[in-house]
Amino acid sequence: MIVATPRETTVPTVYYPCKYVPAELLAGFGAKVEPVSFEAESFEDADRLAHPNLCGFGKSLISFALKKDVRALVLTTCCDVMRRVYDVLNEERCLDFLWIVDLPHLQGPREVARLRRELERLARGWKAFSGEEFDVGRALASFAPPVPRHDTRVTILGAHGPESLLEVAEDSLSLPIENLTCTGGRYLPSPPPQLGRGPREGEPCEACGDAADEPQEPLDAFLDWYAPALLHQTPCMRMSDISTRAEQLGAPGQVGVVYHTMKFCDYYGFEYLEAQRATDLPVLKVETDGTRQSAGQLRTRLQAFDETLVGMNDTIKTRATRGPIHVMGVDSGSTSTDAVIVDGDGTIVATQIIPTGAKATRSAKRVMDLVCAKAGLKPEDITLRVATGYGRDAITDADTQITEITCHARGARALAPGVSTIIDIGGQDSKVIKLGEKGDVENFVMNDKCAAGTGRFLEMMANTLEMDLDRFCTEGLNWKRDVKISSMCTVFAESEVVSLVADDTAVPDIVHGLDMAVAAKVSALAKRVKATAPYLMTGGVAANEGVVKAIGQVLGAPIQTSEDSQLCGALGAALLGLEAIKGEADEAA
Amino acid sequence: MKAFQIKRAISHYLPDSWMYESSKQAQLLAVDAITSALEHADESVLASIFMPNEIFHALGLRPLIAEALGDFVAGAHAEAGCLAYSEREGIPNTYCSFHRVLLGTLLSNVFEMPRFIANCSVACDANNLTFRILSKRFGTPQIYVDVPMAYDEEGCAYVADQLRELAKMAEEIYSRRLDEDLLREKVACSIRTLDLVARSLRLRAGRYVKNNMGLEMQYGLALHVLLGEPEVERMARTMVRDYLSAEPFHGVNVVWSAAAPFFCVPLQKQIDVNTDQQIVASDMCFDQVSFSGWEHDASDPYLAMAERLIKNSYNGPGQRRADRLIELCEQTDADGAIVFCHWGCKETLGVSQLLVRELERSGYPAIALDGDACDRGNFPGGQAATRMGAFLEMLHAKKDAREAEEAEGLVRELERVRVEG
Repeated sequence: MIVATPRETTVPTVYYPCKYVPAELLAGFGAKVEPVSFEAESFEDADRLAHPNLCGFGKSLISFALKKDVRALVLTTCCDVMRRVYDVLNEERCLDFLWIVDLPHLQGPREVARLRRELERLARGWKAFSGEEFDVGRALASFAPPVPRHDTRVTILGAHGPESLLEVAEDSLSLPIENLTCTGGRYLPSPPPQLGRGPREGEPCEACGDAADEPQEPLDAFLDWYAPALLHQTPCMRMSDISTRAEQLGAPGQVGVVYHTMKFCDYYGFEYLEAQRATDLPVLKVETDGTRQSAGQLRTRLQAFDETLVGMNDTIKTRATRGPIHVMGVDSGSTSTDAVIVDGDGTIVATQIIPTGAKATRSAKRVMDLVCAKAGLKPEDITLRVATGYGRDAITDADTQITEITCHARGARALAPGVSTIIDIGGQDSKVIKLGEKGDVENFVMNDKCAAGTGRFLEMMANTLEMDLDRFCTEGLNWKRDVKISSMCTVFAESEVVSLVADDTAVPDIVHGLDMAVAAKVSALAKRVKATAPYLMTGGVAANEGVVKAIGQVLGAPIQTSEDSQLCGALGAALLGLEAIKGEADEAA
Repeated sequence: MKAFQIKRAISHYLPDSWMYESSKQAQLLAVDAITSALEHADESVLASIFMPNEIFHALGLRPLIAEALGDFVAGAHAEAGCLAYSEREGIPNTYCSFHRVLLGTLLSNVFEMPRFIANCSVACDANNLTFRILSKRFGTPQIYVDVPMAYDEEGCAYVADQLRELAKMAEEIYSRRLDEDLLREKVACSIRTLDLVARSLRLRAGRYVKNNMGLEMQYGLALHVLLGEPEVERMARTMVRDYLSAEPFHGVNVVWSAAAPFFCVPLQKQIDVNTDQQIVASDMCFDQVSFSGWEHDASDPYLAMAERLIKNSYNGPGQRRADRLIELCEQTDADGAIVFCHWGCKETLGVSQLLVRELERSGYPAIALDGDACDRGNFPGGQAATRMGAFLEMLHAKKDAREAEEAEGLVRELERVRVEG
């Protein structure tokens, strides 16, 4: 623990990351206490002082504590990373006051007594540091009223919700959000008012609830009540008994759950496994690394989730047109930009695929011009333009945007009626979309932020093997020996491939090993959404025969592909647009 | 299972002839502990590696440990299938691979699930996850022993209370009666064994310990899984005798921290049974010993086990681990230290740079080496071998320079004596 003389005359704000930190106790000593929500731009300090493979929140916390204006931090022993954050900061001596509360894993009377001793220790430490006395009135005034929510809302559960996740969720979801992540949902009961009562002059009065024995010191009386209240909050995942966490799912008013896991925080990945089985509510799993870099991908997922929660027709805004209906769908992907025009019957009139290149806006404009020319139409003949894909927000000429998840589902229904699961592997994403009986999105899952198992991964491996992509797509079909590429981290896999090349392993065997590694990754994703045959594969990697065959082998069922599979997203966008127009027309009629 | 049984038979009848007697014993003890626990699932207890096991041994039960299972599954080249199964089950791939292998083998019913789960909070978060999910999936009763970071008498009594509850629970589940006298005997045996292990440390200085990474892990496993058993005390006594008569060692000595990737051929070539450089001690074998005596003896076995658990160098703040590593370096006259950062072990990853800095401040060059001690697919080892090789070369250069300087000083001193004489 570091308890130094304050560098400045003012008592500093105490920051805390964990809901088990006794914020109200410190407030009783007059401290200003605030939760940490800092999101570091770079993890340079944490990587240097600790290790890159720690969760983003722990690493952000190290950067936060190194800021000049941060002088007091109270942690708990809530997880391995927090204990190590404490070790590193303790060594750095960058704070005036650094404290760690040893938090029990159990919640029985024995543990309450242990926590109470820990709180007493902190109280002594803070008093010595700040020179302030405990005032029970200040402590009681700092309690937030515990009001359970009943409004219609989407709950974010899981690992610490970084600012960027909460912001994107607020932006992308139509409903209000509730943050019950590891650092949110700090709900303590209201303290009994007797705690604030001053000591009685004269004899104790039983009728007023005074105890007949010696009156307690205010701090002791407060801690007697506070220690169990703090420890008996809805447990986080590091507590041994987490049975009451189940109540967070399916609470009144909750219509959907965004389940957040953070790279290198394993706790909530485990809970997600159980949560998924335990509820019928729509649950979306998102994984971040605790930085803002994932925001683009997050937006796609959350908007798609919103579309499944509120329904498509509420999302699409159509415009009035005269003449025959022509709807254009434009899919701006990381590798190619695709466009499809359908007529009023949903028949494809024209299609166009061009490389995305450096500017998504420019290629979108170009593809729209080209497809119109191909269809013999002028821009003003288009009834509705629907944009999808990563670059959809950049297509300013579009009338509306829909995520590629929903568009792929609709496009797949058109390309392969009766299909139950779509496997889409594009340049930077792989997704598995499970369709319901009516062909709507029932569940979907996307790969993590890293390139593992995506088209980019395969491209990099082809480069390592100095092979053009066309050859790479079929080379693995001639394998003879089963070679295992076990690492799906692009960097590790590349090093494995280099080692295999150095060992003179036959190239078709290496490529087949890579195909099987991608297939294993896809199969793990497929299992998460309870995927079933028939399968349709879309995205650029659908053209890779080796990967398609390997996925079929791992999933135990043939994988359909379509010549137009690359147009799946754009076609889906156009058809959804058409359905929205028709829906409006029906309503008007 | 067959692979484990064959390994046990080989360790028993055909141990490598180059090994010290104590090494042969350690190998056989470790392989027998894991194999017999798997053979007798009805008598086995799934436990975490730092859990005091004397209670189970006094009840005639066999602890099955995640790290031990992971090691032997990897030794049998079977870890990839178990890891793939756990990934299909949705277990995060950033999770410790020892625990993923354990989950893969048990969830896929490759091995039978023991009847009882007993784990403690030392040393890492995996204890909060692996055992709970197994308990839930199989409906197996579980006890969780919560261990405070710092040692004081209240904390010791708190842990001792939980160990008493554990004993009661085990008695009920297996319908056996715990003989408290036998438990006291076993705890007394643990204390004697750890004292012998502590004594062996100083004897390693300047001697050839003739080991490999696998043996270091097996010593560590025997000292955790079977501590309190007379065979382990015998092994420790033999170890002292072996080192007393060991040949001198003139190469570079390194202290190893955390698990070792015993299967990694490029590293084996550099450090296994090598007369130029050796692992002189690893902290997985010295985490439980005390160099300053104990507060509690075996007369209250629960307090004695609790004290050992709280004071374990893997418990508490990272500084405690650093202090233990420095002590190991000092007593063995080590030239440097290697902190192995096992994949998914946030406990070590987070403190790795601090350990390196603390060791260097005390005059011991150190490196943190990233890798995986259980999943060979996640650790081809080529890059790590380059790093470790360069580090060992640097230690050799420093040692040569130091020895040359000492020789020069000696020559100067002799010259001075000659001139003055």
